[in-house]
Amino acid sequence: MQEESTLGTCFGFAVRSSLPFRFLRGGVGETIDISASSSGEDAPEGELLVKWRPTAERPFEVRLFRTEPGHRVWIPDSGWYGVDTDARTMTVPDDADEVRREERLWGIPAILFLLARGDLPLHAAAVEVDGQAVVLAAPGTFGKTTLAAAFLSAGYRLLSEDLTCLRLGEEPQVVPGPAMLRVRRDVAEQIEIGNVHRLAESEHRVHFAVDAALRGDCAPLPLRAIVLLRIADDGYRIEAASSAAAVRDLWNLAGTLPTDRDRTHSFTAATELVRSVSVWNLHRPLRYAELPNTVEFLVEHV
Amino acid sequence: MFAAESKISRSEKAVARRLEEGEGGVILHLESGAYHGVNEVGLVIWELLETEPTVQQLIENLRDRIDDPPPHLEDDVVSFLTQVRERDLIVVE
Repeated sequence: MQEESTLGTCFGFAVRSSLPFRFLRGGVGETIDISASSSGEDAPEGELLVKWRPTAERPFEVRLFRTEPGHRVWIPDSGWYGVDTDARTMTVPDDADEVRREERLWGIPAILFLLARGDLPLHAAAVEVDGQAVVLAAPGTFGKTTLAAAFLSAGYRLLSEDLTCLRLGEEPQVVPGPAMLRVRRDVAEQIEIGNVHRLAESEHRVHFAVDAALRGDCAPLPLRAIVLLRIADDGYRIEAASSAAAVRDLWNLAGTLPTDRDRTHSFTAATELVRSVSVWNLHRPLRYAELPNTVEFLVEHV
Repeated sequence: MFAAESKISRSEKAVARRLEEGEGGVILHLESGAYHGVNEVGLVIWELLETEPTVQQLIENLRDRIDDPPPHLEDDVVSFLTQVRERDLIVVE
C-alpha cells in the first residue's frame, strides 16, 4: 500500500492522502485524512438534512444526509462525499474526474468542516491586499469571481474564489481556501487571466489552478473589509453599508445547515462581523475593460 | 389590530441581535429566513416581550423605559407589532 503523506493545506487543514490534489497551498494545519471510496447512487441510511437547489454556478441539486458517523453529501456530477468532522476524515468518489472531484470537495463538504470548527463559510471571493484580506461578495448580482480573477492577474494573491472561510473574534480573519479559479467560458474568452494555468474546460466553465508562486500558505490574514459588489452605469461610488442591510446580505451569503443552532450561529456571526469590520457597497461598471480600474479603485479606497 | 389585553410573546424561532450602539438591531426567523431591522426603540420593545406582556402592559412598560416618549407611542408600538407579526416573529394570544 502506498504510504500517505501530507500534501499541502486548504482552509487551514493539512491534507493527508494518496490521491492527487491540485489546489493546495503550503504551510501547516490540522491534519485531515482524505481517501477514495466507491460511489454508487444509492442513498445512504440516514436523515436527509437538506437539498440545495440548483444555482447558476451549480446547476444541479445537492443533498446532505446525516449518517452514523458524520455526514454524506451527494453531488450529481461527482458522486458521494463522506465527512466525519470528529474523526477528521473525508472520502471522495473514486471514479470521478479528478479536477472536478477536488473542486466539489472544497465546496459543501468543506463547509461542514468549517462549521464544526466554528468558522463562518461565506459565499464570496477573497484577495490579499497589503497583507490583509478583502472579501468580495456579490449579493443578488454577479461578478465576484471575474473581479477576483482581475486581482489575481494584477499580482494580488487569491485567497478564495467562491467560498471564503471567515474566522471570528475581536479581529476577524480569513483562512485561505483552495488555489483554484473557475470562470465562465465567455469571461475566459474576454479577459486574459494571469498567474494561473488552465486545467480543464467544461460546458460552462474554464477551470484554472493558481500558479505556485502566488499560492502562499493557509495562515489566516486579518480581515480588512467586506465589499458588496453592486452595478452602476456611471462610474465608481463606494459607501459604507448600513449595518442592518449588511447583516441581511451576509446572512444570505452564509453557508449554514438547516438547524436552529447552525442558523443562529451564522446569524450571530454575521452581526459580529458587521460590528467589527468595515462593510462597503461598491457601485461599479460591469464591463470587462473596467476590471483593472475596479481593482485600482478598490485598493485605493478600501 | 391588537386588543389591549392580547398577550404578546416572541416566536421560538426568532433570534435578535444588537448592532452598533445607536443602530438598533436585527431579528431573524430561523426557519423562514424572514428578516427585520429595528431601531433602538424596537430593540427595547423586543426586550420587553421577554415577559410576554399584554399590549397594554407593553405600552406602559415602554413608556417607563424611554426618556421623553413620543406622543404617538401607542401607534408606534402597534406598527412595530404589526410588522413583526407579518414575519411570524411574535405570537399573539
